[in-house]
Amino acid sequence: MKVQSILVILLGLFSFEMSAQEKAKIKFGKVSPGDFKAVYPIDSNASAVIIGDIGSTDFVGNDKGSFALEFKRYCRVHILNKNGYDISKVEIPIYRVDEAEEELTSIKAVTYNLENGKVVETKLDPKSIFKEKISKKKVVKKFTFPAVREGSIIEFEYKLKSDFLFNLRPWEFQGSYPTLWSEYIVGMPEFLNYVSLTQGYQPYYIKDQKDKRESYSVEIKKENAMLSGSDRINFSAGVTFFRWVMKDVPALKEESYTSTLSNHIARIEFQLAEYREPFIPKKVMNTWAETARRLLDEEDFGKSLQEENEWLNDAISTAGKNAKTSLEQAKNIYAWLRDNMTCTNYNSFYTTKSLKATLNSKSGSEAEINLLLTAMLKKLGMEADPVILSTRSNGYAYALYPLIDRFNYIVTRVVIDGKTYYLDASRPMLGFNKLGYDCYNGHARVIEPNAAGVEFKPESLMEKELTSVFITNDANGNLVGSLQHSPGYYSSYSLRSRLKEKGQDAYFNDLKKEAGGEIEITEPAIDSVNNYEAPLAIRYSFKLPTDKEDIWYFNPMFSEGWKENPFKSTERLYPVEMPYGIDQTFLLRMDVPPGYAVDELPKPIIVKLNPEDEGNFEYRAVETAGVVSIRSRIRLSRTYFSPEEYVMLREFFNLVVKKHNEQIVFKKKK
Amino acid sequence: MKARLMIGCLLLVSSALLHASDGKYSVSGISPVLRMNAHAVVRLEELKFEIKSVKEAVQTNHYVITVFNENGDRWAQFSEYYDNLRSIVSAEGILYDANGTQLKKVKKKDMGDLKSTSVGTFIDDSRVKFHNFYQRTYPYTVEYTVEIAYKSTLFFPMWAPRASGGIAVEKSSLSVVCPADYQFRYESFLYNGEPVVQKEKNTRTTTWSVNNQPAITKEPYSPLWHEISTVVILGPTEFQIENYKGNMMSWKDFGKFVYSLKAGRDQLPDNIKQTVHQIADGLTDPREKIARLYEYMQKNTRYIGIQLGIGGWQPFDAKYVAANGYGDCKALVNYMYSLLKEAGINSYYSLVRAGKYANYITSEFPAQQFNHVILCVPLQKDTVWLECTSQTLPAGYLGDFTEGRYALLINESGGELVRTPEYGKNENLQTRRIKAVLENNGTLQVKANTNYEGLQQDDIHGLINNLSPDKVKEYLHEELDFATYEVNKFDYKEKKTAIPSILEALDISVSNYATITGKRLFIIPNIMSRSYQKPAADSTRRYDIQLGTAYTETDTVEIQLPAGYEAEALPADVSLSTAFGTYKSTTKLADGKIYYYRCMEQSSGRFPAANYAELVKFYETIYKADRSRIVLIKNK
Repeated sequence: MKVQSILVILLGLFSFEMSAQEKAKIKFGKVSPGDFKAVYPIDSNASAVIIGDIGSTDFVGNDKGSFALEFKRYCRVHILNKNGYDISKVEIPIYRVDEAEEELTSIKAVTYNLENGKVVETKLDPKSIFKEKISKKKVVKKFTFPAVREGSIIEFEYKLKSDFLFNLRPWEFQGSYPTLWSEYIVGMPEFLNYVSLTQGYQPYYIKDQKDKRESYSVEIKKENAMLSGSDRINFSAGVTFFRWVMKDVPALKEESYTSTLSNHIARIEFQLAEYREPFIPKKVMNTWAETARRLLDEEDFGKSLQEENEWLNDAISTAGKNAKTSLEQAKNIYAWLRDNMTCTNYNSFYTTKSLKATLNSKSGSEAEINLLLTAMLKKLGMEADPVILSTRSNGYAYALYPLIDRFNYIVTRVVIDGKTYYLDASRPMLGFNKLGYDCYNGHARVIEPNAAGVEFKPESLMEKELTSVFITNDANGNLVGSLQHSPGYYSSYSLRSRLKEKGQDAYFNDLKKEAGGEIEITEPAIDSVNNYEAPLAIRYSFKLPTDKEDIWYFNPMFSEGWKENPFKSTERLYPVEMPYGIDQTFLLRMDVPPGYAVDELPKPIIVKLNPEDEGNFEYRAVETAGVVSIRSRIRLSRTYFSPEEYVMLREFFNLVVKKHNEQIVFKKKK
Repeated sequence: MKARLMIGCLLLVSSALLHASDGKYSVSGISPVLRMNAHAVVRLEELKFEIKSVKEAVQTNHYVITVFNENGDRWAQFSEYYDNLRSIVSAEGILYDANGTQLKKVKKKDMGDLKSTSVGTFIDDSRVKFHNFYQRTYPYTVEYTVEIAYKSTLFFPMWAPRASGGIAVEKSSLSVVCPADYQFRYESFLYNGEPVVQKEKNTRTTTWSVNNQPAITKEPYSPLWHEISTVVILGPTEFQIENYKGNMMSWKDFGKFVYSLKAGRDQLPDNIKQTVHQIADGLTDPREKIARLYEYMQKNTRYIGIQLGIGGWQPFDAKYVAANGYGDCKALVNYMYSLLKEAGINSYYSLVRAGKYANYITSEFPAQQFNHVILCVPLQKDTVWLECTSQTLPAGYLGDFTEGRYALLINESGGELVRTPEYGKNENLQTRRIKAVLENNGTLQVKANTNYEGLQQDDIHGLINNLSPDKVKEYLHEELDFATYEVNKFDYKEKKTAIPSILEALDISVSNYATITGKRLFIIPNIMSRSYQKPAADSTRRYDIQLGTAYTETDTVEIQLPAGYEAEALPADVSLSTAFGTYKSTTKLADGKIYYYRCMEQSSGRFPAANYAELVKFYETIYKADRSRIVLIKNK
C-alpha cells in the first residue's frame, strides 16, 4: 500500500466554476428569540458554535497614489456553555511599519441574551477596547464582550484598511469551535495578481467568481511642497469577485504525533504575485531564482553577505585557530559560534539587527546567527549560502511557488571539496553537519542565484539505539553484569543538555532510583559527551541482589522496554507524523544462576508492520548451554501514516509492549 | 571539623595569591568556601530604599555577580518590571572577564523592553526592561546599577541576600533611608543581631549586612525560604497610593485602607436589586440564600483580569460588573458582597495569598503580601467562603488555591486576620471499588467506581467542568496509566456540597493487562492507584521536612480470573505505620478471584531532617508494594 496524503493542497491561479447563489441567513443586529433555541446537530458537545463568519477584501484607491486593501469581517457566535466563554475575547492584529499603521475602524460588538422571552442587547463600550503594542511591527486591539452568559449570542464586525498590498488577509474556515457558515469574498482587480493556496480536508460548499467593472479613485500628493494639494485620478477596471464558502465545518482537534495542526486547518491564503497596468508592470513573485536574488539584496536578509565585512577578521582568526584544511576551518568557525553565541529566539526569518551587532552582543535569532556563520565562511572564500526552511511546528512549505511567508528558519549550507554540509550554529551542543529534527519538514531552498531546492525528509533520519547487557553470577549468588547503551542521536542531544545542567552523578542516581534502589552501580561512564557529532555511549557495571527464592521471575528488559503504547487514543483524525524513523536493538546475554534452571522463556515473535516491511518487530529468547540470550529489535522506517493506517500502528506497539513485559522464570533445581 | 580547618587554610592562601594586576572583581579573589555548590556568587549587593515622603520612594540597587557555569547564567540576566506606579529611572550594566577586566558596558536605552502581562490577565500596564550580556566564557562577572522610582509607598522591597539555592554571597547589604520622623517597620528572619542605625540631620539610615554566606543546596520537601536563609521584609507605617492614604502599623489599619479603596463601590442598579430580592426573599435559610445568590453571580459573570494603575488594587464598582458581566477577583468579590448586602447578609472582602504552595505570610508582620481576594460570609455557627472567580465551585468550598492559610477580613473598622478552612485526611478522600474480569487473552475488563472528595476532587472537577464530554474522553484516553486500553463508558456525578465530591464510573478494557506466557499468568492487583513518589535517598539531609496536603486513599479490588489457574506466588501483605502516614495492602486468592485491598493515609506537617531516610523508605516500600504482582500457574 502506498502512502497517500489525503490533505488537499490546491496551488494555483484562480480558475473556478460558477455556482450557487446561496447566502448566509444572518445579518448584524437581527437576532430573534428563536435563535437562542437552536440546536446544532453538527456537534452536540460544542460549548460554542460559530453561526457565521463572513469576511471580504476589496481594493480601493488611497491618498498615497496607490491602492489599499479594505478588509471587513462579521462574525456571530452562539455560546452554549461557559467553556465557550473564551471566544468572547477578540484580538485583532494590526500591522505597522514605522509610522504607517493599518487602520481599524468601526468596531461594533453586541451581546444578546434572552430574558423573559425578550432579546436584550448589551453593546460593547468603546472605552473597553484596549490597544497593546506587541512589537515594532505588530499592534493588537482587543476587547471582550459584555454580559456574556451561557446561551448568549454575540456578534461583532469591523473594518480594517491597509496600505500594505502584500498583506491580503488569509481566511481560516476552521477553528476551535464548529462553524456553520464560513465565507470569504475577495474582489480581485485586474491590475493586481495574487496566487492563492488552499489546504485542509474540508470541501467548499460554494466556490464561484463573477466579473464586474468597478471605478477607482486614487489621490496623488504633489511632491513639490510649494504646490500644496493633490491630484486625483479616476479610472475603472475589471474586477473578479471570488467567493469561497464552507458549511458545517467541524472543530479542529489536537492529536499527538502531528507536527502541527496548522497543516490540517481548512484555510486559504494569498501571496502578491504581480502588478499590472496602471502600475508599472512588475512581477512581485516570480521564480525561486528571482526571489533568492531579491532576498540576497535585502538589508534584513542577505545584503551583508555580499559585502567585504572586514570587521569579521578578528573573530575569524580567533575562531579559525590553526586549521589546516578548509573543512577543519569550517568546523572551528562553526563550533566557535555555537559555543559563544546565545540564541535568543528561534523561528525568525528576517534579521532585526546587523550581523556586526549580532557578533558584538553575542546573541541573536537563529537567522542572525546562521547568517553570521554564512558570512564568516564566505569571508574565508568558501561556498556558503543560507538555506530557508519551515520547521515542523510552522507547517509545510511548498516547492512550487516562492511563498516566503511559509518559511520561518534559516540554516547554512557549505560545500567543501565537493561535499555538502548543513549547519545550525544556534543550538548549543548540536554537531557539525547536523540539524534539529524539527528542521526535517520537507521543502527547503538554498538562497543563492539558482535557488536550489532541498528536501529534508523525516524518514531520512533514523534514530538508532543499541543496548546490550551481559549478566553473570558472583560467588554469593548476586547478579553481576555490565550494560552498554547507545541512544540515538537526538536522544543523545537532549541528554547532553541534561548532563550539562545536572551532572553525570545525578544521571546515574536517577538511573539507580528508577531501578528500585537495590541496584549497585559501579564504573559508570559516558563517552562522547563533548563529541557533539556522535551519539553518546553510556556504560556501567552493576550488581543486583537476589532473593534466592524457589521460583524466580526475572524481567529481562530492565527499564529499556516499551511500557506504554505511544498511540493511546482509539480514534484518529489526522495523519501520524513521526519526527524520525526508529531502529532499536536490545541484546541480553545471561548466565542461568547456579542451582536454577529455566522454567519458562518468552516465546519468539516476528511482526511485520505491513507487506512492504516498512516496520518490523523481532523478539527472540533462547537458552543454550546454561546461557539465556534475548534479542529484541524494533524498526520503523516510515514516518508518515494516514489515519487509516493508525489502527495498524497502534496494534504494532500493543504487541511490542506486551512482549517487553514478559518474564523469564527460573526454578530452583531439586 | 577537619574539613573546615582545611578550607580555612585555603582561604588564606588564595587571598595571598591575589594578582596585583587583577581588577577588583577578579574571580581569584573569591573564597573557595563560597564556590562550594555554587553556580554563582554575589560579590556585592547594595540595596537601598529611600523613603522620600509618604508619597514617593526611590530604590537603588547595585550588585555584582560572578557566574561560574551555565547553571548560574540566570542570575546574570537583568530584568526589572515597571508600570504606572513604578518607573525605572536609570539602569546600567558592566561585564567583566575572570580577571576583572571590563569587557562591555550597557545603558538603559540599549536594553530590551517587553510587555509583561501575567498569565490569565486580559490587560494590564506592566512592562519589563531586560538585558543579558550572553557571555559564554566562564567564569565572568556582571555589575548592574538600577534606580527605581515609586509613586506610592505601599510596596517596600524585600531583601534576600541569597535569592535561592546554588548562589553564595560575599557581601550584601540593605539600607533604608527615611525622614527622621518617619517610622518604617521590618521583620527579619535568620539575621543575627540588630541593624545599624545612623542618624543624619533630616534622615535616618538603617542598615543590615551579611558577609560570606555559602550556597545552599536545595532539598525536596523543604520549608519555605525564609526558614532556611536570611530574609528581611519591610513595611510602611503611613503610606499613600495615588490619592489614597493608609497606615500599615497593624492589620486593622491596613484593613481600613483597603476598605477606603472599595468604599461606596457597592451600589447595584435597580434591576439587579430586584433580581436579588426575587431570589432571596422567599428563602429563610441564610445558607440557602448565599448559595442561590452565589449561583446567580456564577451564571452572570466571568473572570477577566483588567489591572491598570490603581485598578490593580481597587475593585471596579458593582455597577460596572452588573453592566459588563465581568471583572477581576476584586471586582467580582465586591459584586458578590453587594448582592449579599442587598439581601441583608453581611460579608467580608478578604485578601489572601493564593496558589497551591503560596502560603507564605507572616501573620505577625502587616504588609501587602496578598495577590487575591475572596469573600467571607460569617453565619451564626460557622462561615461560608466564596471564591468569586469560579463559575463552577460550590458555595463554601475553596480548593487548594486558597485553603488552609491566613486571610485578611476587611470591614469599616479595619482588618482582621483569620484562617481559611483547611482540608485534611478526613476530607481529602479517594475511595475506589473495582470489579474486573480477566479474559483468556490477558485483556482486563475493568469497572471502577471512585468517589473523590475535598482536594482529591479538584483536578476532576476542573476536568469535567472545563472540557466537553468529547474532550474528557480524549483526556481519559491519553492519561490513564495503562499501556493500551479503551474507555468504553465514563460517567461523573458531582455533589456540590461545602466539601464537594465527585463519583466517577469508568468502564475500561485494558489489552494485555496480564502477561500470559505458556503456563503462567502475571498480574498486578493494584490496577489504578499506584504511588509515584520516590524521593532520592540523601544521606546529608539538612533541613526539616515539610509535607503538604494530607489525604486518604482506599481501594477495594476484585478480579475474576479465567478458569484453570492456581497461585504460584502472592505478594506479601504490607503494613506500615509512620509519622508520615500509614499504608496497608493485602492480597487474597479465593474462588477463582483475586481480592486486593489497599489503604494509604498521607499526613501533612513538619518533621525533623533526621527522619528523612525513614520518609524515603516509606515511599519506596509503597512504590514497590503498589507494583508487586501475582503469579498464577496453570493447573495440571
